[in-house]
Amino acid sequence: MRKKTDLGTVIKYISLSVFAVCCLYPIVWLFLNSFKDNKDLFANPWGLPVTYHFDNYIRAITKGSIGQSFVNSIIITVAAVFIAVLLGSMVSYGIARLRFKYSLFVKSLFLIGLSIPAYAAIVPLFSMFNGMKLLDSYTSVIIAQVVFAFPITVFILEGFFSTLPAELEEAAVMDGCTAIGTYFKIITPVAKPSIVTVAVIDFINIWNDLLFPQIFLSSEKKMPLPVALTSFADLDSVDYTGMLAAVVLTIIPTVFVYMILHDKIMDGMTAGAVKG
Amino acid sequence: MNKVLEEKKTVAIFVLPALTLYILFVLIPIIYSIFLSFYQTDLMNKQKFIGLKNYINLMNDKFFIKAVKNNLLLVVGSLIAHLPLALFFGNALFKKIWGSKFFQSVFFLPSVICGAGVGLLFNMVYNSQFGLVNSLLDFLHLSGWKHAWLSEEKTVMLALIVVVMWKFVGYHMIIQLAAMKAIPQSLFESARIDGASNSQQFFHITLPLIRHVIKIDIILIITGSLKYFDLIWSMTKGGPNHASEVMATYMYYQGFRTLKFGYASAIGAIMLAMSMFIIWLVNHIIKTEKIEF
Repeated sequence: MRKKTDLGTVIKYISLSVFAVCCLYPIVWLFLNSFKDNKDLFANPWGLPVTYHFDNYIRAITKGSIGQSFVNSIIITVAAVFIAVLLGSMVSYGIARLRFKYSLFVKSLFLIGLSIPAYAAIVPLFSMFNGMKLLDSYTSVIIAQVVFAFPITVFILEGFFSTLPAELEEAAVMDGCTAIGTYFKIITPVAKPSIVTVAVIDFINIWNDLLFPQIFLSSEKKMPLPVALTSFADLDSVDYTGMLAAVVLTIIPTVFVYMILHDKIMDGMTAGAVKG
Repeated sequence: MNKVLEEKKTVAIFVLPALTLYILFVLIPIIYSIFLSFYQTDLMNKQKFIGLKNYINLMNDKFFIKAVKNNLLLVVGSLIAHLPLALFFGNALFKKIWGSKFFQSVFFLPSVICGAGVGLLFNMVYNSQFGLVNSLLDFLHLSGWKHAWLSEEKTVMLALIVVVMWKFVGYHMIIQLAAMKAIPQSLFESARIDGASNSQQFFHITLPLIRHVIKIDIILIITGSLKYFDLIWSMTKGGPNHASEVMATYMYYQGFRTLKFGYASAIGAIMLAMSMFIIWLVNHIIKTEKIEF
């Protein structure tokens, strides 16, 4: 009996380790090879770099315009996450706590969005932004990212707000606080952990998105990272090591945030299924 | 108290900004997209009502049919690949074992990495000269199995499914694991006292009690597989010769490359209809109720 469990544990650990290596190795390989030159990469794809070539990164930043794109990604992502979380949390609070006739209906409108593919809206959005003269502006991408971030934002935050005890606002309102004052002074501090979770999930989704910027933007110098990456690959298909460096620069922010906040990210990104 | 929370003005301040944006830029475009799918239009000057012609043409468009087949292949491939692996690893990590947290974080890591980045990374992994796959085959003396994985029509879909697995198995595992963690430990304890083996516990306690989440996960896997774009666009752009075309890449191509926006809208409408149909279908086939412990 004792032996049998041990064998099971060994098999379990072997399969877990094999899968962990499968998950990690491509990322480690990417990182190591981003320091090689093309010759070294071809001669020895598995090993450590013979010499470390930081100029791959310089080439990626200048020639592949990853530097400019990094700034673009930050502008778009920060603005979109801020607006999505601010307006999304307010509407979630409204649905969960304020009493109005159509709150359930409004909630279901947002939750439908969880299962709508963005592709079903993309042509009319393009046409609308064209009519509003917003094409090729950050604004168009930011609007699209914000509205498509609402469903998951509302799903997580509405769920949280509806668990709060009613006394929380009662005391504040008795003291003469307005609803807005109550919300920002009393409710948001309590909701901070959930708000951080939502902000991080929205950040990852928006930072990684290729579709909206690819469709709404046309000038090279406004492109965020995912678009710049793919056009770098089309433009200079033989600069493999420069491209590896560009991919490293693109994934560093999300991997870094993930290393700090992995529990929150795992909870938030799977909440749609687990709490459904 | 109630007054403040009921005031129309308060409700408007909280609800209207997000709701207006959402209706304007999500709900109206979706309805307008269905409307556009009955037109032939370049969105500029000419717009002609052509009834169901876009849909009829799609049914006779062999590249679109290929795209739908590839999406279905991804659906089946993902269901076969993700679910059993996710359940297996979820169950392995569910019992408190050494390193559980570490493995969870590592398995989930690929799902936070940008699809375009993953696509380009795997372009290199599959590279025919220095790629990891081919050099591994060389190392194993299986050089005969080497391929230019992403540029051969026969191998491209297989190569893509492997990347999809790499990116998403961990994500589904965390979903299953979270469901398993919600089961009260006392159930397993009493089963163990009654002499139930690990596999008996899995099949008779864990599996029946997480059915609800498995169902939602099946819906997520299928609807997710119908809308891949980033990965495929950055790896193959649907090529070679449309061999890895999926609905999303074909829609992008028809709309934003050849400017047949009515045709593209029809593809979008079909994607929407398929997603809704699948959600309905899975809900009907697998009847579950959410279990509260």
